[in-house]
Amino acid sequence: MEKKSLWVFGTREVVYAAIGAALYGVFSWVTNFLALPAAGNISLRPAVAIPMFFGIAFGPIVGFLSGFVGNILGDFLSGWGFWWSWSLGNGIMGLIPGLIGLLGAVVSFKEKSTLIKAEVLVVIAVLVGMLIPSLLEIPLSGIDFNTAIVGYWLPAALSNIVNGLILVPILMVAYDAVVARSGR
Amino acid sequence: MLVTWKYRFRNSFLERFDPRARWFFSFLVLFSIIQFWDLRFLLFFFALVMVQYALGRLTWAETRRVWIFVLILVVGIVALNALLTGRGGPGEVLRGGHVVWRVEWKVLGLAITPTITVERIWFAISQIVRMLSISVLFFIIPYTMDPSMYGVTFRGMGIPDRFAFSMDLAFRFVPTLARDFGTTLDAQRARGYEVEKLSGGVIAQIRKMAPLIVPVTMNAILSGEDITNAMDLRCFGLQPRTWVHELHYRRRDYVLIGLGALIFITSIVITAGFKLGTFWVPAWALAWAR
Repeated sequence: MEKKSLWVFGTREVVYAAIGAALYGVFSWVTNFLALPAAGNISLRPAVAIPMFFGIAFGPIVGFLSGFVGNILGDFLSGWGFWWSWSLGNGIMGLIPGLIGLLGAVVSFKEKSTLIKAEVLVVIAVLVGMLIPSLLEIPLSGIDFNTAIVGYWLPAALSNIVNGLILVPILMVAYDAVVARSGR
Repeated sequence: MLVTWKYRFRNSFLERFDPRARWFFSFLVLFSIIQFWDLRFLLFFFALVMVQYALGRLTWAETRRVWIFVLILVVGIVALNALLTGRGGPGEVLRGGHVVWRVEWKVLGLAITPTITVERIWFAISQIVRMLSISVLFFIIPYTMDPSMYGVTFRGMGIPDRFAFSMDLAFRFVPTLARDFGTTLDAQRARGYEVEKLSGGVIAQIRKMAPLIVPVTMNAILSGEDITNAMDLRCFGLQPRTWVHELHYRRRDYVLIGLGALIFITSIVITAGFKLGTFWVPAWALAWAR
């Protein structure tokens, strides 16, 4: 069987990137009531699991677009405006879990080893994805490194890790049943 | 569940510009603002973005929420950072300065001396103006740019067809998926699920979101297969696509891009050439020191 490239972006990926982004946007909008206090321009979003899961299921480009465009959509729907650096960070949060294919072929999404790999990538993705916009706030807002880490990175990373660690495996197990049923 | 975009046609001056020209202008102004710490220059940029805000014909009722959000963020986090630590700013803010107020607290034997200096106050003001300028520059975009134009706009800015179409598709999916979410929410409520009364700690609350997130996501994935097949059958991606809306630059768009470029180049000349625009404290403000 021909091995599919990790970076392919065909019709299927175009559609799933759009679906992932729209889902992330809508879920972000409806879960905005779970606002995390004292965390700058960051809210507790269970929806962050969506770009991570779409990255794992459909590849890093789909994950990136789901996070990047989805964050823009969520902010637009909520009326927060346009925070490009945080959208970029959300994109990276979707891209890194999409690299799961580099750790070996995914045979089943409910296999224990696949779930563990996904969880590890989720943690790395959040740490890296939230670090970049937090550090970008230093030249943009003129804040210091400590404020960037304590005020932005830590609350965003912690809440997103908890959301990702809980919801991504649930979505993967559910998706495994969908894959088995549809034969894709 | 009905989802609405913040955009509505206002027949404003801003809406007459090509969206691509507005994006280019916004980023050129952003890269100009971040070169300055001098309040005099920052006030120019603040005035510029407020003119842009006024040209969008936005009402206070529409933008009140985002204004409150931005003000809390800017004043709360940024100014507190500048006043109490002064780090991240120019060196003189961190290194002593002219003291206005100082107190010494003993906490567990350690001496803590929060200090407010003239430089820190001035840095906080500069930082607030700078942050507000950047925020207002971009937060008007969802209110003043038609969501149906994003795909063709980004295609016109050089993003490949497939990526641009994916973004376009995402905007179109939002109302459908919001409706699906509403249907699922109603179905779960009929089974006794109360989203307004999620009990337990944060982890338990997140886990309890699964009955909403999982069915909507899996349903969307299944319908995605049909959309993929339909697009494949229409030979999607075999040739460069055409778009329903077409964008054409007009003279005013070139003027706007030219204005952005002029501001950017002038900023570079001022900061790199004349070494101006660094942190500035007026001499009269030093009289505040005790």
